[in-house]
Amino acid sequence: MEEEWTPKITLFCCNWCSYAGSDDAGVGRKQQPPSTRTIRVMCSGRTDPGFVLTALMEGSDAVLFTGCHIGDCHYISGNYKAKKRFEMLKEILDELGLEDERLQLQWISASEGSEFAEYIRKVTEEIKAIGPSPLRQEWMK
Amino acid sequence: MNIGDRIVAWSKDEEIKKEGASGGLVTSLLTAALKGELVDEVIALQKKSEFEGVPIRTSDVDEVIKCSGSLHAAPINLTKFAVRFFEEHPDGTLALPAKPCDARGIIEQAKRKKIDLEKTYLIGLNCGGTMDPITTMKMLEKMYEIDPNEVIEEEIERGKLIFKTKKEEKAISIDELEEAGYGRRENCRYCEINIPVMTDLACGNWGAGKNETFVEIFTEKGLKLMNNAIELGLIETAPATEKGIKIREKTNGVMEKVAKKWHEKIFVPIEDRLERLHYYMDVMEDCIDCEACKYVCPVCACDESKCIDFYDPMDSHKISIYHLVRLLHLSDSCIGCGQCTDVCPAEIPLTTLHRRMADRIQTKYDYIPGMDMKIPPSFEVE
Repeated sequence: MEEEWTPKITLFCCNWCSYAGSDDAGVGRKQQPPSTRTIRVMCSGRTDPGFVLTALMEGSDAVLFTGCHIGDCHYISGNYKAKKRFEMLKEILDELGLEDERLQLQWISASEGSEFAEYIRKVTEEIKAIGPSPLRQEWMK
Repeated sequence: MNIGDRIVAWSKDEEIKKEGASGGLVTSLLTAALKGELVDEVIALQKKSEFEGVPIRTSDVDEVIKCSGSLHAAPINLTKFAVRFFEEHPDGTLALPAKPCDARGIIEQAKRKKIDLEKTYLIGLNCGGTMDPITTMKMLEKMYEIDPNEVIEEEIERGKLIFKTKKEEKAISIDELEEAGYGRRENCRYCEINIPVMTDLACGNWGAGKNETFVEIFTEKGLKLMNNAIELGLIETAPATEKGIKIREKTNGVMEKVAKKWHEKIFVPIEDRLERLHYYMDVMEDCIDCEACKYVCPVCACDESKCIDFYDPMDSHKISIYHLVRLLHLSDSCIGCGQCTDVCPAEIPLTTLHRRMADRIQTKYDYIPGMDMKIPPSFEVE
């Protein structure tokens, strides 16, 4: 029997909010698909556009930026930087011809475990609907 | 003389006047800046032939005089030379002639603290476009039927490109040449900035008589350059005529219109997503990792290049990360100078790719790079 295709999603979590939020989802036993590969960064502002591009080129079907809500950044302005980078990257990837869903930004706080699980479920469904990334090499499983 | 004045000026030195274009004003301003100790060094383009100009950095007045004369087929951007100067002499002062793309590159570098704009005298040159030397030689053989080695002078007048040899003089309209695939470089065709309003003073022959240069003064530094040259007795000035001012504005308007038309013609949007992706994948596939585009790029300002940080030639990605990072980096600052396309040994139309990205982001953030020192780059977050 052929296995159902699950997308590979690279998830950048900030140490102070989203990573704790994802932890909260686990502790609260909220169900979510095993599609994400989580990378913890100290701040969403640390997510260099180069990381995102590398993730996409190495076979991720989607990349998610997550961080503290605007105004809650542990380092005061990190998430503003993340937002700007996200906007720029979005334009570039759109011009390159990647679908809108493949790069997303979501603010998740440390207490939003159920929102986190819900978000991952939603994104996984979206990516399943549009299929594997055209940037992924044929030999990548 | 005041800021905002429009005048015509010419050199008093007979030798400069003979060799230089439009009365040799720019050469005289540069020599005067050196003689009057306004600047430590000058960057100028030394003419080797009609198709080759070599940028030199010098404090020798005689060397500068050798640089007089206009060159349309030497597309060189002087920004990186100015950056090098300030690396070596952080407290030095510098003067250089700058076409709009030189000036815009310099202002973008100044925003990134690589050039001290307070200590840089920019002598703006009106520019209707430059030509690729090799294409020009081919054009001379095919369209003009002239041996490129025999050309002694070239000139652009009333939309016509004129080449002179010892025996004859031939003129063909630029439109006709560009239809045939020759003429100006592609990025110059759609460049809308012809008068360098961001410099200290703009010089050009639009609206000026024979052997004079039309000058518009924009800043205190521009005024200083002019007054210095007048005090040293190197130039002579006269107020510009009403007719001249009108001709200059009209010429500029016509050039802008032509540029807009070319822009529409070249940047046809590719509607289908997958088709777009394949277009980018196909053109960038030819890259041989020489990194030449990075070295010549006038707005590239990383100390340690981010574009090679994430990149390994052993990667077998569908699109090279080197180019992706560069596309992203330059999306706010690309000025469309065309240097990357010029140097690319694999003939990738890099400028077109960069402009495709940059047009979107620069329209979105309403940011035109290199126009005003006071406006921070749109990448910047307070």
